Amino acid sequence: MNDRKLVLRTADQSRRADIDFDHSSTGSEIIQAAVDNWSLPADMDYTLVNTTTGQVLNPSQPLEQQAREGDVLEVQPVLVAG
Amino acid sequence: MDRYARHRAIAGFSQEELQASRVAVIGAGAIGNEVVKNLCLLGVGAIDILDFDTVELHNLTRSVLLREADVGRSKAASVARRAARLDPAVAVTGIDGDLWETLTFERLRRYRCVIGALDNFEARLRLNLLCWLAGIDWINAAIDSRYVTVETFPFGSASVGSDPVPVACYECGLPGSVYQKIAERYSCGGLQRAALARRIMPTTAITASIAGAQAVNHALRLPRAARRWIFDSHSGLATQANLSRSPACPCCSTHPPAAAMGRPAAGEATATAIDAAARAAGADTIRLSDGLIWSCECANCGSTDATRAVELQRAAAVSDGITFCLQCRSQAIRVQIRDEFEPGELSARFPPDAAIPARFAIVGNGCIDLQSPATERPDATMTTTEHLT
Repeated sequence: MNDRKLVLRTADQSRRADIDFDHSSTGSEIIQAAVDNWSLPADMDYTLVNTTTGQVLNPSQPLEQQAREGDVLEVQPVLVAG
Repeated sequence: MDRYARHRAIAGFSQEELQASRVAVIGAGAIGNEVVKNLCLLGVGAIDILDFDTVELHNLTRSVLLREADVGRSKAASVARRAARLDPAVAVTGIDGDLWETLTFERLRRYRCVIGALDNFEARLRLNLLCWLAGIDWINAAIDSRYVTVETFPFGSASVGSDPVPVACYECGLPGSVYQKIAERYSCGGLQRAALARRIMPTTAITASIAGAQAVNHALRLPRAARRWIFDSHSGLATQANLSRSPACPCCSTHPPAAAMGRPAAGEATATAIDAAARAAGADTIRLSDGLIWSCECANCGSTDATRAVELQRAAAVSDGITFCLQCRSQAIRVQIRDEFEPGELSARFPPDAAIPARFAIVGNGCIDLQSPATERPDATMTTTEHLT
C-alpha cells in the first residue's frame, strides 16, 4: 500500500475534499466515491480531470500513472443534450 | 460599404479564407441554431445543416432561428431558410436525414470542419467515427441547464504534411457508464428495444448560446491537440484540459485513421466487390460498421416467413419484438448478429448486385464506403428569395 493525498472537487467547486488514495485506485473508483459521498446525480455520467496537469484522466487506468501528490482532480459531468 | 469591415479590422483575420470554406453543422436544435447564426454572421462561405427531426413547440424557447410557423416542419430546412436571410452571400443548405446515412465520406471531405450539436451519445459516437475515418476536424458541443462543454478533435489539422498525427478521439475519454446507457437501448447484442423512453434533459437558451459561441470560436482557431472546455454558467468557472489517446479506445484504436483509408469508388458496395477487395488486400477479416442479422429462426417452428424477412437486415433497424414467434406464441426466436466475416461469406449469402446494409466495411487497413456518392440525396440550398411563412 502506498497512499497519496489528492484534492478532489466538483466542477462547480461547491464540494471539495482532501483524499487519500491507494496506488491501484482507478479514476472510475474515485468518481463512484464522489457520487456516493456527495450525493451527485446518479443518472449522470462523469469524467475526472487533473486540473494540475490539465489532463483528462483515463477512468480505467490506475491513478498513480496519472496524478501526483497534491494534484487537484475535478469531477466533471459528461453532457449529452444539444 | 463593406459588410465585413469590422472583421477585416481584426489582425490576422482572413474574411476571404472564411468565405472560401464550407462547414457542416450536425443537429439543428438549440446549439445548432446558435452555431448556424454565428457562422452566417461571420460570413462563412457555405453551411450544410443536417438533422432528421421536425420542429416541436418546446424547441422555440431555445432555438433562435425557429418560429411557431415552423412547428411540424423539417428542422434542417427551417433553420436553413431563416439563416439564409442573415447574409445572402452565405450558401445555407438544409439536409433532412440521419447522419449515418447522409454523411458520405465524399461529402465529409468537402468540409473545413464539422460541428456536432447533437442530443445523444450514439450519434456522437457515429459522427466521431466518420470524422476519424475521413480525417476531418470536428467539434463537439453539449449542454445541460447549467454546464457547457466544447471539445475539439483535430483529426485533419493535426497532420504533418500528408501524415496524420493521431490525436485523442471523442471515445478516448468516455466513461464506461455511457456505454451501459447505450446498451440499455438495445437487446440481443444489437436489436432496438421496442419500448424505451429517452430521458428529457433540461437545457436553456443561455447554455445553448454559450455553447454555440464557443463551438464556432474553436472552429476558427482549432488547436493541434484534442481538448475539452467546460463552463459552469452559474459560477462562471471554466476548465480546459487535454484529452489523451486511450490504447483501448473502441474507435481510434480499432479503426484505420485517414491516411490508411482508400477513396471509396462507386460500385464497391456489393458483397462480391467487398470480398474481392479483401482477397486483394490479403485480409482475413471483413468488419462491417453495422451488425447484420445473419440468422434468425424459431426454436419451435424453425425458419418462418417472419424470420426470413429480417435476415441480412441491419440489426439496429430491427425491433426486439422479432424475438417473439407469432406462430407458436412464445419468445423462442433465436437471432445471430454478426459484423465480422471471412472473405467469401458475404457473397455466399447476398445476391451479386445487392447492396450491403452497412455504412462502411473495414478491409485490412482500408475502408470501403458502402454509402456511395450516387446515393446522396439532392439538397435544397436556401436563398433569401425563398418565400418565408
